[in-house]
Formats: sequence, C-alpha cells, structure tokens
Amino acid sequence: MPDKVEFVTIFIDGEAYQVPKGANLVDVAKFYADNDIPVFCYHPKMSPVGMCRMCLVELGNSVDRQTNDIKYNADGKPEVMWFPKLQTACTTTVTHGMAVRTDTPKVTDARDDVIEFILTSHPLDCPICDKGGECPLQNLTMRHGAGVSRFDFDNKLHLDKHVPLGELIYLDRERCIQCARCTRFCDEVVGDPVLGFHERGRSLQIVTLSDPPFDTYFSGNTTDICPVGALTTADFRFGARPWELNEVPSLDPYGPEGANISLSTRLDRDSGGVTIIKRVMPRQNEYVNEIWISDKTRFGHHHSRAENRLSKPMVRREDGTLETVSWNEALNTIAEVLKKSAGSVGAVAGPMVSNEDLWELRQLVELTGGSKLGIWPATMTGAEAVAQVGVGTGTNFKDMGKGTTIVVVASDLEEEAPIWFLRTKQARDRGAKLMLLTARPTKLDKYAACILRHHHGETLNAVNNLIGAVLSSDGFTFEESRAEGFDTVKKAKYKGDEAGYDEAAKMITGAENVVVLVGHEGLTLAQHGDVMQSAANLLILTGHVGKPNNGLIPVWPGANTQGALDLGFSAEATADALSQSVVIVAGADPVGTDPAAKAFIASADFVIALSMFDTATTAIAKVILPRQSVPERDGTFTNGERRVQRFYTAQGLIGDTRPDWKVFSQLSNLIDPAVKVRLSAAAVMAEITKNVPRYAEMSYKNLARMEKQFPDVGGDDLYYGGTAYGNHGGLGVQWPVDAEAAGKKLTLKAVKSEKTAKRKGLVAVPVRRLYDRSPEFSASQMMHQRIPSAYAQLSRKDAEKLKVVEGDDITLVFGDGKVRVTAKVDGSTPEGVVLVPVNLTDNPVPTAPMAVEVEK
Amino acid sequence: MSIFKGLGTVVKHLLEDPVTISYPEVERPVRERFKGKHALKRYDNGLEKCIGCALCAAACPADAIWVEAAENTDEERYSPGERYAKTYEINMLRCIFCGYCEDACPTEAIVLEHEYRLSFTDRRDSIYTKEMLIDAPPDGVPETPQKVEPGAFDRAIPDMENPK
Repeated sequence: MPDKVEFVTIFIDGEAYQVPKGANLVDVAKFYADNDIPVFCYHPKMSPVGMCRMCLVELGNSVDRQTNDIKYNADGKPEVMWFPKLQTACTTTVTHGMAVRTDTPKVTDARDDVIEFILTSHPLDCPICDKGGECPLQNLTMRHGAGVSRFDFDNKLHLDKHVPLGELIYLDRERCIQCARCTRFCDEVVGDPVLGFHERGRSLQIVTLSDPPFDTYFSGNTTDICPVGALTTADFRFGARPWELNEVPSLDPYGPEGANISLSTRLDRDSGGVTIIKRVMPRQNEYVNEIWISDKTRFGHHHSRAENRLSKPMVRREDGTLETVSWNEALNTIAEVLKKSAGSVGAVAGPMVSNEDLWELRQLVELTGGSKLGIWPATMTGAEAVAQVGVGTGTNFKDMGKGTTIVVVASDLEEEAPIWFLRTKQARDRGAKLMLLTARPTKLDKYAACILRHHHGETLNAVNNLIGAVLSSDGFTFEESRAEGFDTVKKAKYKGDEAGYDEAAKMITGAENVVVLVGHEGLTLAQHGDVMQSAANLLILTGHVGKPNNGLIPVWPGANTQGALDLGFSAEATADALSQSVVIVAGADPVGTDPAAKAFIASADFVIALSMFDTATTAIAKVILPRQSVPERDGTFTNGERRVQRFYTAQGLIGDTRPDWKVFSQLSNLIDPAVKVRLSAAAVMAEITKNVPRYAEMSYKNLARMEKQFPDVGGDDLYYGGTAYGNHGGLGVQWPVDAEAAGKKLTLKAVKSEKTAKRKGLVAVPVRRLYDRSPEFSASQMMHQRIPSAYAQLSRKDAEKLKVVEGDDITLVFGDGKVRVTAKVDGSTPEGVVLVPVNLTDNPVPTAPMAVEVEK
Repeated sequence: MSIFKGLGTVVKHLLEDPVTISYPEVERPVRERFKGKHALKRYDNGLEKCIGCALCAAACPADAIWVEAAENTDEERYSPGERYAKTYEINMLRCIFCGYCEDACPTEAIVLEHEYRLSFTDRRDSIYTKEMLIDAPPDGVPETPQKVEPGAFDRAIPDMENPK
C-alpha cells in the first residue's frame, strides 16, 4: 500500500477499519481485516474485470448525504443503507463510510452457487492435474462446494485436453473457467497481446495466434496465476504433486535483476535417487521481481543436472592427455605452480560466480602477489559511477509512476533484463515517462514518450547533448554544495541545441524522480565507462541522486557483475589478467566467447579453469576443476540495484564437486598454511563484512530478513495471488551509495564529447539476446526451439548493396574471425551496422563493436 | 471332584479336531476383507487403472508408497487419460496394511488382496516395484504400453457414473 494517501473509515463485518481511499475492496479486506474474499478473476497485480462473480459481498453506505459523516445508531453501530443486491468486491473501490458484509447467508449462498455453476463445466481431473493440491478452484470448492453434484457427468462440456500453446505451456480447454487472468497478464502486464478469447459463452476458448505460439518471455507466469489447471508448464508436466515438493529460496543465475525464485525439489528415481529441481517458481520480492520471472529463469535450470557436467578434477599431462585425478592431487598441482609464479597470477571470474567465491579468489590471487582481477564478459564498467549515484536504497519500480522519468540508454531491455523491461513498462502505464537513448528500435519504443535516436557508438554524445540541453533549459540551477567539478562540465561545452533534446531535458528537470538504465550496445569498454560517468553527471546535475527511485542502474551482463565490481574485480583488468603467465578462469569461457581473449590467453603458460562444462577454455587449461551450479550450493549475488541476496542449497551434488570459495580457500592454505581454510559460505561472508565497508551489513542473518509485503501471496489462499511463493529466504540488503551519505560531496567529472568519425564500411555490433546458446541455458532441451539460430541483422539498404536477401547464408569476417550466419534483413536495423547476437554462433563473435566484412 | 472336571476337559479336547494346520502344505483361507499384498488392477482392455496421481502416497501414513508419473501418448498408452505411473513402488517393510491407499485411489487401481507371503532376505527386496505389483493383462489382451486409436482414451476416468 502506498503511504501518502488519504485514509477513510470502512466497516467490514461490523468492524471499523482505517484504509486508503480508492483502494480495491478485495485488497483492503485482506490486508487490513485479514478477511479473504474469494476470487478467481481478480488479481492484485491487474485491473479488475468482475468476470467470475466469486467475490460477491453485501455492500452498504453509512454516510449521511447532507453532512458527509457516518451515521451511528444508539449502540454506536453505523446505520447502514444496504444495497438490495450483492455486489462484486473486486470492482469496488473503498469510499468513506462504506460497509461490507462477507459472512451473511446471502453471501455464502451466492458464492456456493457460483462454485456449483463453475463446476458444471469443470472436469473431475484433480488426480491427474498438475495444479491439484495448490488449486484455487479446488480450495474454494472445499470451502463453498455443494458436496453432491446435481449435474449429469455426460452433460459436461468436453473440450480438448491437450493443447500445446507453444512448446512451453499446455492448455487444457476443459479446465478453463474463463477468468481472463492469462489474457490480461499478457495484455496489461507484459504488453504482448498474444493470448486471446475466441468465440463466446460456453464455447469461449483461449487461443494464441502469434508465431511462434504464445510468443512472450513471460509465458510461464500465466501458469502461476491461472486459478485452475488450464495452463500448465511442459517443464513440470506430471513431474510431482505439489505437496511432495520442498521449497528452497534461490536466485536467477542469469540476469542482472536478481529475480527471486523458489526451487521446488524432490527425490527422483531417474536421477539416481538424489534430490533434484522439479520446477522453478517465482518467490515474491516486491523490490526486485514482484511475483514475475522470465521463461529463461523458469525453464533454464536444467544445466544444474546436465549430463555433460564436469564431475571430477582433471589435470593435463605433459603429452597433452587429460587425466582424472583426486581433488588433493589437483589442488597440490595448482599450489605448486602458484608458489613458483609469484606476482604473475591473474584471475577472471564469470557472471555466475558468487560473492564468496570472488572474495576467496581475490585472497588467493593477492596471496601470490598478483593483482589482476578481471570479469567476464568484459563489456561493461563504471563501478565508480555506481558507487556515487547508483539508485537510492529502497528503490522500487513499483513506486514509480507519475512524476518519474525512466531513461534507458544503449540497451534492449527486454532481451537484456526482462524483469526490468516488465517493471519499466508497468511504471510507464502508471504514468511514468520513458525516454530512450538507443541506436535502434526496440520493444520499448512503443511506450516511450521521447526517443533520442543516435548512431551506434555515439551514445556518449547523446548523453552529453542531453546534459547540454539540461544546462541551457529554463530554470536550471545547480546547487554548488551538492558536488564539486561543475566547472569541468561548463568547460566541456556540450551542445545544448540539438533537435528534440530540449523536450527531453524538460522531462528530466521537470521530473520528481529520474532513473537511468545504462546498457552497452554499440559501445566499447572505454566508451561505456564514459557513458556511465556522463549519465552519473546528468543525475548529479539535476539532483536526482541519493534518494529512492533516483539514480543509475547498469544493465550488467551477468547475475553477479555488480558483486564482482564491489569486491575489486573490473572489466579493465580482464585483458591484463588473461595475459598473465598463470590464469585462473572461474565460471567463464573467454576463449569460446571472444576472439580477442584467445590472443590474450595464448601467452599464459598455465591456465586453471573452473567450469561446469567442457568449453574452449577448458580445452587449453592445464587443470580443470568442476564447478557447482547455483542450486547445489549457498552463497550471495549482488544485483544491478546493488541488492545483495542469498541463495540456498537446493539439490543433491552432481559428481565430486566443491564450491569455488572452498577450492580457493584450500589453495590459499596450501600456499601459506597460516591462512585458515574457511568452513562455510557464511564464514566467508563474515570475512567480507569485516573487510569490505560497503558489505558491512551483509551478514547472512541480515540478508535473510523479511518484512510483510503487499500483496500477500503464497499463503493458503492461492486464489488471490496465484501460486508464486511467499518469501522465506530474505529480501536482501542494498548498500547505500555515496550520494546517500550525509555531507559527502559528489564529484562531477565531465567527459568530453567524441568527434563523430565519418562512418564507412560496416560495423558489427554485438547484441544480447535473452535466449542464447551459452552452455548453461542450452542445457534446457525444451528451450531449443525458442533459441534463435545464428543470424545477423542488416538494414535494407546495406542488404541491397551486398545483394543479400533475408534468409541467405552469409559469412561475417572480422579480423581473423569468421562466422557463418543467416541474414535477417529488416527496417529496424540502422544503416552501416550489422547486428550480431552474441552466444548464438559456433565460433565466437566480438564482444565489442568491430569493423566487419560480409561475404556471401 | 475337581480332578474329574479337569480330566473331563482334557477328554473333550482329545476328541476335537486340531486347530493347527501343517502350513505350507495346507493353507488356511483368509477372510473376505483380509488386507494383504497390494495389486495394481487393469481394465478389461488391458490398460492400467492407475493414473499415477500419487494420492495413495499422500494418504499413506507410513510413507511406504513412491509414485512418479509420466505422460501417455496414443502410440504408447499405459492408462486412460494423460497420466500414468512410470514408477510405482511400495516398501513392504514400511507398509502397515491399513488400506488407506485403497480408499484414496480415485480409479480403484490399488487393491489389498489376499496374498500374505511376503518374505525376503534383503531389505532392498522389500521394495515391490510396479512390475511385481501389477496384475497380468486379461487373456488375449496385449501388455501395456498399447498402441491405441487417437482420441479413444482421452480421459482418466473412462466410465464415470452419473449421479443416481
């Protein structure tokens, strides 16, 4: 519930409650009066439609029309004028003096009748239904059902029971009770209107006409909010009964949003009797992902027990053959090498490496006298900008609406961070303004109030010009006390008169809150650092820093990129780290994902690879250590909003693996026996809290802290919020940025605009797609049809010049690298640019923009 | 006098038939509602009645039953409807033969029958698998999985009766 609202008095079953004016009656009754009004079609995250009639209540008014005061009778009870007929609670907003009765025989009878009516067309499928056991209809039938059927079984409507809506979701038409939650979710929440109703009355059916069917990144969420078993996932189909599952709080290992998930685990005969993940469900965290997760998060968990997982340490012998060895031998081999190569040890950590692992890795590298700590992918930077003006603690997209401007810079948010896409889109629906500084059209374009289109690679100038326009806009004043370095900005002489930028500047200066999401599309690492700094400058200049819902959110490439930066790793150090004579690569495949990395690592004598899978990096490694997947262990990730969150051990170990922190800790101990081996991830975190000031509050106890959230989901009343789980793993803790510290002066470091070079030839711009061929994600067989085949996107003009048509096989040549892809020709691609998705091709494509030649 | 009373009792019992029987050569018939080893039943067409719903496992107070389900196709059909039991195991050391599974079963697939000779020499042998529990198909009817006409067995409960 929002805080700054007017409260009114209403009476629920005779009791008076102070509730926010204009709130929905179902929400209010649940939150304030603990009165569960049954619903099927109403969902707290969507607008009401009043289709199912389950929420009927008696409504009345106790207000005197003349005085507008509540009339009380002699007993002190309100004198209520009751409406003659029952009303639907879900379409009612509370007003002063409203009276509600939810427990009268009239109400109960009406609800009983609605249930009986719904059941006339509902099959008796519960024993084989995946929803059975956590089904709103089942639960409400237990409460309101007649017990005896008056209805002929043969007269029940018989419809198709097995309708695949794409490969991920199955529809059972018989079970559907026509509540329209799924269609409304697609239309309202996601903005992908891919589901619809066909025909009318009893023959009303859910259909999808998109190609591929049910074409949205959020399709799995419809199965959570479906109040019956009409929509079920292919992943969990007949996997287990809900009451057999153990719920373990965990985190999305893919995206920078840090979506909270709950892993439903159970023993499994086929997997050799170990505990495995049966399904992934959203876990409520209203600050992070509310109750939604993307299909990548939901269906991308199969890597944790993929058959090709590495399970034993391996050492490469002199003759180049790999030999499986014991952990002791592997660690001793590494320790010997590390001892000998003091000062020339580098480390590169991938996107799914937890904070504990990173910390112990850093300790190990520093123990050997090394200092080169890189991240992978090394595409984004800007730790300083984030530390200054990252979004304020307590930021919540849900609170953004009118008065907020959300700026998206150089990012295709839907592909790079789907949860932020969803929440940005919803903030815009609530009245927030969306500004895009992007080089090409993306799905956000249709929601944008302002689009500042520029060429790929010229994002810095776009941001700088926006600053220029802000500086020259009417009424702009800068509080000198806020930050130092204003003169550098003035000296930089940004262009303030570019067409369209004055409107954009007004959207920034006139806004109460400004959030800037910065991606890296079309930018080199150095350019990205400049854009981050410039975006930070913009926020400091306009004062949109240091408070909730204001500041910078980088669209990092991985789930724990922020954590890596916080613990002293950086993208700038990656190239150096890879060129050391001993390189430790943890959870990354630089050789297989970037042609440039191959050249760097060629100079290394000894590569130690910690990996879950065989990759191009393990192929050149001297020692290969098997990694554990996120569900097999505990630890913490830091998301793009700097929220440190915990994940817990959920599933049995595959093979003889150890968590990375343990490996690094044991290695440190072998090199220097004075260094103690850490015994648990919690102990490592305790060490971090002592040594990293920003993480001082991040003890596991603090991270597991909970508070009451609205709307309340995951209780017994599944009909209200769906089957998303309540949060029992903690909401996590955000670390505060410099801008929030009282009295701390920020620094403006103006970044000079770049001279725009004459554009000639074609430039390959790497773009991120949500579904890619990374070894982790492609382990989910069911997603293969949704992963695009290797392609490159060209503009119509360039295609004409090259005589390439849609569907042609073309070869992209950059430097020594070559990839064979299918050409896609469309109007959205800017001229002179070839969009090349990363992680789709067999051979690596560059991770930064690069000149490219196209051969047929 | 009491000595004769005692002797009378002895003589009376000498003339009665013995209660003991020489098991295993002779077996005593069990009562009609005796609850012995479970049997998984089939329909007359050979399809399994069990639909893998695991309600028996949920009802089991001893946690003796383990069910894993999978999906039927018309090419490989085990039971009517979409779902069948891929794994069905009962741990006879845990089972207390209470018959709750029988009560819970929505398709009358599991029945506690009269077999009581459950002996094994290894604890692992106490786990009875689906193959050990399921009845043989009726004469002349093929074993499951069967290949069936598409659409012939869409629903899990094929002959549900209408309310009287």
